[in-house]
Amino acid sequence: MKAMAVWGAYSRLILIELMRTPSYVIPSVLFPTMFFCIFALPYAKTAAIADTEMLSFVAFALIGVTLFQFGVGVAMERGRPWERYLRTLPANPLVRFAARVNAAIAFGAVAGGLVAVVARIFTPVDLTVTQWIVLIVYAAIGAIPFVLFGMAIGYWCNARAALPVANIFYLLLSFGGGLWVPVRDLPSFAAAVSPFLPTRQYGDLLWSIVTPGNVAHAWLGLTLYALIFLLLASIGYRRDERARYA
Amino acid sequence: MNAVEFSRVSKRFGAIEALRDVSFTVAPGETVALLGPNGAGKTTSLEMLLGLRTPDSGTVCLAGALPRDARARQKLGATPQNTGFPDTLKPIEIAAFVAANYPSPLAVGDVFASFDLTDVANRRLGDLSGGLQRRVAVALAFIGNPEIVVLDEPTTGMDVESRHRLWERLRARDCGRQSVLFTTHYIEEAQVLADRVIVIDRGCVRFNGGSRELRERFGRKRVEYIGNDGPIAALPEDADRYVRDLVLSQVPFRDLTVAAPSLEEAFLAMTGAMS
Repeated sequence: MKAMAVWGAYSRLILIELMRTPSYVIPSVLFPTMFFCIFALPYAKTAAIADTEMLSFVAFALIGVTLFQFGVGVAMERGRPWERYLRTLPANPLVRFAARVNAAIAFGAVAGGLVAVVARIFTPVDLTVTQWIVLIVYAAIGAIPFVLFGMAIGYWCNARAALPVANIFYLLLSFGGGLWVPVRDLPSFAAAVSPFLPTRQYGDLLWSIVTPGNVAHAWLGLTLYALIFLLLASIGYRRDERARYA
Repeated sequence: MNAVEFSRVSKRFGAIEALRDVSFTVAPGETVALLGPNGAGKTTSLEMLLGLRTPDSGTVCLAGALPRDARARQKLGATPQNTGFPDTLKPIEIAAFVAANYPSPLAVGDVFASFDLTDVANRRLGDLSGGLQRRVAVALAFIGNPEIVVLDEPTTGMDVESRHRLWERLRARDCGRQSVLFTTHYIEEAQVLADRVIVIDRGCVRFNGGSRELRERFGRKRVEYIGNDGPIAALPEDADRYVRDLVLSQVPFRDLTVAAPSLEEAFLAMTGAMS
């Protein structure tokens, strides 16, 4: 009802604002595909390798946009007078939280979609229609913890610190999760912690579309991470609120 | 039930006492101006009413409920602060979003028409002048058709003509039981728009009544005449006595006028006397 209307209207507003900033959107969308072209495309000679590589880089794309690019937006925006105005509107802050999450995922889907399109054209990727649909669903839902992680960083770090902090997590977690280097080729320390990283669980989830894997473990891990990051983001939000409006 | 009710509200920020035992009300349908020098506590008061801050003691009520309650704020419409808009958005997009927040909003087109904004509704806010942005901000406060409208310095940054036009727009509205509480730096604005004036200074309510009463109580009448040495203007403590003395002194004069005090003079006399 009302909450749904506000949620839809706010998501729309966020996406319009994004679309009108092409200097931000275009590089953000191109970055993961560029990485894919440099590090994966030349080696994706068989369907099996191409499928796995594409799925890894779709994950990398969504994590990048949601965590590093979008979530950090919170750190920059929370001080804006516009945010102060939004707080005076009669909507529960959770509704705006939710709108941010799905706007981030919609934006991430464009970045991930571009990886998939390039992979489909230039590599022997071979997914059935059902597999593509499952990919869209898994990729979207599995990205939720990363949006929340980004928002947690955004509420706990100031605008200057949020960017490098998110960047470190982004690159380390992507590597440790086996999104760049196949899991079996990870150094022993990274291989040991890898199963406990949200990026690895996200990867496992997407890889399971082409190779049978432990999906239950991945869902469980991602759900736990989503709850932890939601808690951190909420505490950060309250903390910011107290500091700003004591 | 009052639209706005402050009852013995106190608030302190560290060593600074922002508000001390502040009480006032705004009745349904009333338009009230909140005046005071910078740092007097106007912003803190408004922020409490908007649900942004909470009092240390006392209560602030919005149509009988606490402003922190999102449902209570369905009865509230407010203006964004001065430089508050995202540059790339258009007024019509923001208004549609604001309307989605309220149970029975007005048609955006009608509100924009009544504030002369139809022509700029589809331009980006970053391309609009400060005065136009301010007018958009004021229009947004009315979109939700709320019972209580809070305008924080509605005409700051406007040129004189736009300011007078906005006053006309605000006065022409058939507001029924809609209450308006506004702050302003332009004393004339309070005189033109408000049914009642509340003056706040250093955290306390110093005056609460009609603007005429404020003028009469704190303002001095201005006496002007042309004497032997040219025009004379005086702000005597007691104008009647001044004129009587002038006549009795038998000094020749012509063109005697005794002007009612302006609200601005009264306000300055009042806050000046206090600091």
